[in-house]
Amino acid sequence: MIASSAMSRVVWAAAILLLAAFPLIATGSYYQFMLILVFIYSVVAIGLNILAGYGGQFSLGHAALMAMGAYTSALVSKALGAVPVLATSGLNVWIGVVAGTVVAALSGAVLAYPSLRLKGPYLAMVTIAFGWVIWKILLEWVPVTGGELGITAIPKARIGSFVLTTSYFYHLALLAVLAAMAVQHNLVRSEFGRRLQAVKHSEIAAASVGIDIYREKIKTFVVSAVFAGFGGTLFAHQQNFINPDNFQFFSSVFFLLAVLFGGAGTLLGPVIGAAVLTFLPELLHDFDRVRLIVYGVFILATLYFLPKGVAGLWRRGESAGLGFVPGASAAPAKLGPGTPAIGTGPVLEVDGVSKVFGGLTALGNVSLALEPGRVHAVIGPNGAGKTTLINVVSGFYQPDQGSMRIDGQAIRIGSLHEAARLGIARTFQTIKLFGDMTVIENVMVGFERHSRVRIWDCVFRTARAREEERRQAEEAMTLLKFVGLEDVATTSASALAYGHRRLLEIARALAVHPRILLLDEPAAGLVANEIESLKVLIRALRDAGIAVLLVEHHMDLVTAISDRITVLDYGEVIAAGDPAAVQRDPRVIEAYLGTEASHA
Amino acid sequence: MAFFFHILISGIATGAIYSLIAVGYSITFTTMRILNFALGMWVMIGGMLTLTLHVTLGLNLLITAAIIAAAMAVLGYAAERISVYPFFRTGSDAWVMSTLAVGFLFVNVAELIWGQSPKPVPPFFGSGVIMLGGIAIFPQHLLVIGSALGIFVLLYFFYYRTLLGKAFRATAHSSEVTSLMGIDTRLICILSYVMTSVLAGIAGLIVVPITLAEPQMGTVLGLKAFAIAIIAGLNAPRGILVCGLAYGAIEALLSGYFYTGIRDILGFSLMILVLFLRPEGLFGTAAKERA
Repeated sequence: MIASSAMSRVVWAAAILLLAAFPLIATGSYYQFMLILVFIYSVVAIGLNILAGYGGQFSLGHAALMAMGAYTSALVSKALGAVPVLATSGLNVWIGVVAGTVVAALSGAVLAYPSLRLKGPYLAMVTIAFGWVIWKILLEWVPVTGGELGITAIPKARIGSFVLTTSYFYHLALLAVLAAMAVQHNLVRSEFGRRLQAVKHSEIAAASVGIDIYREKIKTFVVSAVFAGFGGTLFAHQQNFINPDNFQFFSSVFFLLAVLFGGAGTLLGPVIGAAVLTFLPELLHDFDRVRLIVYGVFILATLYFLPKGVAGLWRRGESAGLGFVPGASAAPAKLGPGTPAIGTGPVLEVDGVSKVFGGLTALGNVSLALEPGRVHAVIGPNGAGKTTLINVVSGFYQPDQGSMRIDGQAIRIGSLHEAARLGIARTFQTIKLFGDMTVIENVMVGFERHSRVRIWDCVFRTARAREEERRQAEEAMTLLKFVGLEDVATTSASALAYGHRRLLEIARALAVHPRILLLDEPAAGLVANEIESLKVLIRALRDAGIAVLLVEHHMDLVTAISDRITVLDYGEVIAAGDPAAVQRDPRVIEAYLGTEASHA
Repeated sequence: MAFFFHILISGIATGAIYSLIAVGYSITFTTMRILNFALGMWVMIGGMLTLTLHVTLGLNLLITAAIIAAAMAVLGYAAERISVYPFFRTGSDAWVMSTLAVGFLFVNVAELIWGQSPKPVPPFFGSGVIMLGGIAIFPQHLLVIGSALGIFVLLYFFYYRTLLGKAFRATAHSSEVTSLMGIDTRLICILSYVMTSVLAGIAGLIVVPITLAEPQMGTVLGLKAFAIAIIAGLNAPRGILVCGLAYGAIEALLSGYFYTGIRDILGFSLMILVLFLRPEGLFGTAAKERA
């Protein structure tokens, strides 16, 4: 899993065999019991790693989600144990396991909906509160949960008359960890994983290619809760009795620490962390009086000295990686909507749009129309409202007044990702790339809105997921070739030269297959020959039928490639027309070109 | 009716303490976008120090308060340096865990020094009641409400009438621009953390006669205060005062007339509801990242 070399496969096979054979070597139940705990905790920690390590969202309530799984499974399997058919077949336990996992997932959804709306430490704190409430309910709701005594005599897992005693349960738990690792591996390397990392890196950039970041985060939390709930059900049927003490706040800290210590955002990290932290207290029996001090110091030491965790010691923050370098497809790059509709009237009309910040009118009654296969430049002095216009058209801001139409139909664009889904893609004045990901992955994130892959395809890495991935990789290569970045496809985006970053942002926007492309100062910071290639590039986009809105200060570029220019000053349109007419307009010369003209 | 007002006032007193702790979250959140996840443990240290200084050593209340404020300031400074700044600087979220770790240290140290069992701290002005128009009022409750309101007034003057307070607000608005204006934002961050710590310590001092002095006394206080900060809005100190008082009153009335069990769950359900309907809080303002 770590590398696909034959050597590491051998190491993996040996490790798994050794663990599988362990009950034969060590028949004493103590170490078997401890390892079962390690396996169960690893399952929960892997789920948390997907959320916190790969997704960057901290939860401190995973013990409570685990409790939801454990208590549900215990109660359901006990209740169903009264049905003879289910009791003799052992199905009551397996139904309980499924029910517990589902209930944990549902609780995860209920928790995620409100707490992920805002960026910041909300999730961490809300999950702490959630954990505390669940713990309190487990203590107080005695008729159902048994209060502090908890639930006893939880049925053992069995298949027919075959009861999974400790050494058999050991293998079940080992299997569960391996399955959890496989799912983690599949998920983080799938397009789900790419979106996860993209959102972690830049929410705005992720939204600009059509990713609904809020939904994506909720999905991630629910996935994570499934692992926690499933771990909880295993825990219940292993222990045979559970009480609220098993699921305190401290356990939630345990899981997050396991992820951070082992290595957040690494495949093996959560397992390493769970193993060390499960055995650590056993070694510290004599220090019980200072256990919290030991724990606190351990946390601080981990954060200081192992910021990337144990697994990070030998692997430096690499991206999940594609695992292959695709070739570009033979067909030319698919740009825009596919069918150029040049000269068929405007695709986007902005009609009397105003945007006010406090007392400042950033846009006042601005109207313009973008046509397919035309470059429409918007120029004006700094602070004239050009970027605000892009922000309104791309759904980042809602206009205070005025309306917009696409193909003559009135539309309201509520957010960046809605804009992308309408075929409006954009770049940013301050470049926003997904820095830790490779160049090709950056582009592939942009295909989100065209993918037919569902989360199940990602979990099981189905044929459909693999096929889609290959297709996306090829198309991404084609787009990279189009902008001239095919040679650096597998480089980390953060290692690119400045001009290349601008090009990559354009390639990513093109992955949306936009009908409308909003370029916010694409030439800023580029050197002369880079601007020349940018010219060629924008012309090609225009010829492919894309309606280009170009905000730019670089007048050479603007006059060379624009079909139409709108000039903004203090948020208002002071001139509009073809380049020659605009340049002659006295108001434009006064407001914007004045100093330029006097030099000329 | 007398019973109603009696409960109402004791509820408002508890609410005043919640507000005092909650505004602490707000202070560091606005300046640094971080908050002390173990703030309840800092409240506990304040309460425990009160036990030693005021009850055991018999120091008078003002001297006790002064020593606690000084001790919390030193601890706050040290904790900022050790558990916040190293991660704040690199933009990592690890401060969530590191501030919790400091909380663990506090609880364990408190257990070692003071033991695990709860110890009563007698009310500062005796356990008698004052009768006001037929309503029995504990002087302790008046002290709590009075000092909390006093502290909020001081905070208001600090923020709006002093240069340093203005620097705090400027940092909250834009740390980058503020530092370009020649203000040491690093100092502002330290000071905000110290202020939060001192407020928590003082909250511990005035709450401890109402609760009991024990190492776990801060956990629920810290969580409820967070719920209030969220409900009001993390960037709305005045809203936090209003919500804290209201929260304390509603909570007390609920448990006075109904069943106490729902009391604790109420706050968190409200918090979830507010986050869902108005994530920036009832009094807060939404900030948007720039594109």
